[in-house]
Amino acid sequence: MRTKVASILNLVENDEKLKPLTNRRPLAALPFGCRYRLIDFPFSSLSSIEAVSAALFISGSGHSLYDHIRSGATWGLESSVGGGVFTHSHIELKSRLDDSETYTENYYDDHNKYVSRVHPEYVVLMGSSMLSNIRLDSLIQFHKDKESDVSVIYKKLKRNELIDDSIYYSLAMSENNNDRVEGYHPLTEIKNGDESLFLNMEMMILSKNTFLDYLFKAKQKKLDITVNNFIDLTVEANNPIYGYEYTGYLKVIEDIPSYYEANMDMLNEDNFNALFYRANPVLTKPKNSAPTYFGDTAVIKNAQFANDCEVYGTVKNSLIFRKVFVSKEAQIEDSIIMQDSYIEEGAYLKYVILDKHVYVKKGAKLEGTRENPIVVAKNSVIYSDGNIEEG
Amino acid sequence: MKTETVAMILAGGQGSRLGKLTKQIAKPAVPFGGNYRIIDFALSNCANSGFNTIGVVTQYQPLILNNHVGDGSSWGLDRNNGKATILQPYSSMEGEKFFKGTAHAVYQNIDFIDDKNPDYVVILSGDHIYKMDYQKMLDYHKKQKATLTVGVMPVPWEDASRFGVMNTDKTDRIIEFQEKPENPKSNLASMGIYIFDWPTLKKYLVDNQAKNRQLTDFGHNVIPTYLRNNESIYAYSFEGYWKDVGTIESLWSANMEFLDPAHELNIRDRNWRVFSKNPNTTPQFLTSSAKVTNSMITDGCYIAGEINHSILSHNVKVGKNSVIKDSFIMPNVVIGENVTIEKAIIGESAHIHDGVEIIGTEDSIEVVGYDEEVGGYSDEN
Repeated sequence: MRTKVASILNLVENDEKLKPLTNRRPLAALPFGCRYRLIDFPFSSLSSIEAVSAALFISGSGHSLYDHIRSGATWGLESSVGGGVFTHSHIELKSRLDDSETYTENYYDDHNKYVSRVHPEYVVLMGSSMLSNIRLDSLIQFHKDKESDVSVIYKKLKRNELIDDSIYYSLAMSENNNDRVEGYHPLTEIKNGDESLFLNMEMMILSKNTFLDYLFKAKQKKLDITVNNFIDLTVEANNPIYGYEYTGYLKVIEDIPSYYEANMDMLNEDNFNALFYRANPVLTKPKNSAPTYFGDTAVIKNAQFANDCEVYGTVKNSLIFRKVFVSKEAQIEDSIIMQDSYIEEGAYLKYVILDKHVYVKKGAKLEGTRENPIVVAKNSVIYSDGNIEEG
Repeated sequence: MKTETVAMILAGGQGSRLGKLTKQIAKPAVPFGGNYRIIDFALSNCANSGFNTIGVVTQYQPLILNNHVGDGSSWGLDRNNGKATILQPYSSMEGEKFFKGTAHAVYQNIDFIDDKNPDYVVILSGDHIYKMDYQKMLDYHKKQKATLTVGVMPVPWEDASRFGVMNTDKTDRIIEFQEKPENPKSNLASMGIYIFDWPTLKKYLVDNQAKNRQLTDFGHNVIPTYLRNNESIYAYSFEGYWKDVGTIESLWSANMEFLDPAHELNIRDRNWRVFSKNPNTTPQFLTSSAKVTNSMITDGCYIAGEINHSILSHNVKVGKNSVIKDSFIMPNVVIGENVTIEKAIIGESAHIHDGVEIIGTEDSIEVVGYDEEVGGYSDEN
């Protein structure tokens, strides 16, 4: 029998350094890998354990996210028996507010209402900034085997696999080799690039009763419902926390370079297979589309495409989203071109990220660097002289 | 709420001339154009014409077809006031209701149509590749105050004897019907598309059944009966791309025509989209050794070889140094390394092992069946 879980996705995530890509969309709605958005990954994990509901907490209105999720049917979240996507928008986390008075009581009640209604065995807390493909069934098995009350997911990494000013944390693992977690500390405290660490992926599973207990405590102390606050509460209560090691593909999406690298990682077959073919199938909103057409003049080297494109030019080491038109003699290298963009003849793009619906005029040239790719905002026009008119 | 029109898509035929491609699945479910199955064109025409109450009549090998159509949600047909319903033969007090012909299939589903109580019933075939606005034909039907309107297409006179042809008067009223005539009097071929006034058709079907004269087939029985009874039957002329992909060669050539970006079907037209059930799969991956020209590639493909003038459906894998030319590859096919495929149709989920050559000619297209394995080590030795 499947395990009944309630899932809470905290999508009030740090996206300052991803602007302009996150100007009008939450991090969770960030397009990735030709045809996905980041939310597809946690949702696909939930889908694989046949979870039927999810509660989302987002700041702002989240139009792009709703448009993508719709009824949640893609991930099996639309069941008329106990299912549904419960969205809570315009959430402001206390940790981000100067004035705690604006903080609403509803925030805790919404969590309580959702979890109480689902009657789950477990509650899962997730986010969308840790691009990965988590086997929740394995996590649940680990949680049961350890007779654990609270388990968190980590990945072993070297410090230099994460950005210097990362806002994330490393777990303090017990030295007794018993998978026990004793706390966490900020990555910025680790200076040596070669140092190994246990990246706290900020994903947690806990029993319903423990969740409701912590929720009550969090409300009293006016704490945000986050994995880290819950780790603190567990440590305070002197209860054990177990760390579950994730060994699949992971990229922490924190800024433009890490977002760019995550996409480029997919052009490496090992990474691509690890993310898409070694764990859960990754499900995304189905779109009606025609196959992509490659013309007589197309030259393609190591590139990925979604359906519905027409390609007559040269595309190398790049990812091309849906409905992109690449004219002949246009050249795209080491770039990410999002949905609905149009590239005219003779244009040259290298180390560039085009957000949706960007129009590149004849002969326009734009070249960033691998470390600092140029990002062009949604609906912009790039003129032949290289001038960019923002959309 | 009243339903003005019910569309019945007849999708029960085997399509035996497609050989092994219709051994396990019905012809309307045969893959086409990389992302589609043949029936998608009729279903999308219905959706685009604003007809959303649709009966899909299936019979022969219906599993894949039924699964594909589902509740019609892929075509936006899962609304409160209409949806796609799969209609299959069933048994009742009167015995088993296997469909003996096109009109008989409708007779057997009178209950379904009556439940909707429509003014008009549109009869369509799930076998053809075309885009057509049935609403325009319905407007014409109403204007002519016809009890039956037949969709016709002018064909070259030398081909007319292969079709059922309609001989019309100056007002486009049909005065004579000839089934595959030696000496055709008209070049207007029936497309197998009919709009009937439902009360009239029902009366004919029921009355004749009561007299033990079954109206089995629309072409052979119903149209001649209507003509004898002086019903007003009009021809509605369709001009545009229309293809019956009833043979291996026509299925192949229709796919090759489909490849042309200037093709009349204009598959990328946002105002008349062809919908299908879209598989959830990964982006298409063209590696450093890939060479892809004049071809259509679909999501989920992994290509390390050379593809020229071909259609690859979703999730096709092509290994290094393999060359695919002038071919149609159906979904989930795995092609190894150093394979040569030319002028061929490769069936769904077939596996072509390293080094195999499959080379057809325009008059004799090579076909590999569904799930077939070609080459590799044989277990029998």
